[in-house]
Amino acid sequence: MTPIVSGLLVGVLFGFALQRGRFCMNSAFRDIILGRDFTLFKALAAAILVSMIGFSIMAMTGIITLAPKPLMWGGNIVGGLLFGVGMVLAGGCASGITYRTGEGMMGAVMAVLGFGLSAMMGATGVLNPILKSLQNTKIMTADDKPLTLANIAGLDLKITMLALAILIIVIWVVLAMRNKSSEQSFGGKSKSLGEAIFKKGWNWLPTGIVVGLIGILSFPLSAAAGRNYPLGVTGGWVNIFQSLIKWQAVVEEKIKVTALNWEGAEVLGIVLGALVAALIAGEFAIRAPEPKILLQTLAGGLLMGFGAVVSSGCNIGHILSGVPQLSIGSIVGGLSIVAGGWTMAYFMFIRPMNA
Amino acid sequence: MTETTITPTKTIDECGKICPYPDVDTMTTLKKMNKGEILEVLIDYPLSVERIPRSAQKNGHKVLSVTQVDGPTHSIIIEVLGLK
Repeated sequence: MTPIVSGLLVGVLFGFALQRGRFCMNSAFRDIILGRDFTLFKALAAAILVSMIGFSIMAMTGIITLAPKPLMWGGNIVGGLLFGVGMVLAGGCASGITYRTGEGMMGAVMAVLGFGLSAMMGATGVLNPILKSLQNTKIMTADDKPLTLANIAGLDLKITMLALAILIIVIWVVLAMRNKSSEQSFGGKSKSLGEAIFKKGWNWLPTGIVVGLIGILSFPLSAAAGRNYPLGVTGGWVNIFQSLIKWQAVVEEKIKVTALNWEGAEVLGIVLGALVAALIAGEFAIRAPEPKILLQTLAGGLLMGFGAVVSSGCNIGHILSGVPQLSIGSIVGGLSIVAGGWTMAYFMFIRPMNA
Repeated sequence: MTETTITPTKTIDECGKICPYPDVDTMTTLKKMNKGEILEVLIDYPLSVERIPRSAQKNGHKVLSVTQVDGPTHSIIIEVLGLK
């Protein structure tokens, strides 16, 4: 399978699942403080746990080599905070704005354009010196390995991942059985399997499991294409914009970039998969918010794109792919995204609502 | 579901809006309304079509119906019951 076909395949599945599950980390984190709704956060937690188990088993059986991102605290913290603030303005995380582009939402399209532009400005453009100085804060282990929750405690990474995932699942199940909450659903009561998959939105648990499984599938496929890492979004958009803008330099081999690499194809696949899912469910429509909000999502996208390259990962690279590998860099990056998001959500929505 | 004869006291159009404005607008409107009044929310954002009924209920209101109007656009009918 060529990198493009394999990336597209994973992306289409991912985009389909994101659209059906309405899986967005901006909402997952923000809804905890705005409305105390844990639905999407539970989907995210399930996805991380499924990936954690899958990654560790694949690493034990030699199918993959784990690749936790290194800690660069300056970049992880500053980039994560910028990203978190940006995603609230943009109305979606990196994967959220990508899949909503496929739903025909022009606010998301504006955010994606801002995201690509500022990610390029950071990765290879005018903002690169700032990125370099923030990323010049790398801390590695004594034998020059990326810091993980396992190696700082002197434990084996694969075993720690598996043990931790099982422990969290057991605690979660016990807690869930203790306080059973009645969840009422609206709309059609009896539905066929096809209708449940293609027409109705998915519940949090199937969403989380499917997203986690796609994460598992992505790791060996991406590694086979020479990129040893599971799902990502930021690198994909950078690759797409770079290919479009610097095409001549790419073909003349002045810069070493693959025109449409695995991650770029994966991101295109997300848009495509979400488009197909939205069309089947009758949820596709080209629509736009008022001009002021379009400007707001553009600004949000600009903050997110730069934040993501500075932090060396967005919500997908850090939280969905990095946290299961227990990377300290991804945990710090992820927590900074949440901190930035909560701060912005407080000033934009919570304070005005209670005023 | 058969055609409802309920006339909403108020209708808000949240189509095209980005996350989470439809939810925030609905909750602030519900807060300002009186017990027994009916709010209709027109909304085309799939995530909020599912989340608004959830949060309205959590705040003690009664969700009377969620019906598809056209394409992604849904009409959510909520009876105001919650404590202010």
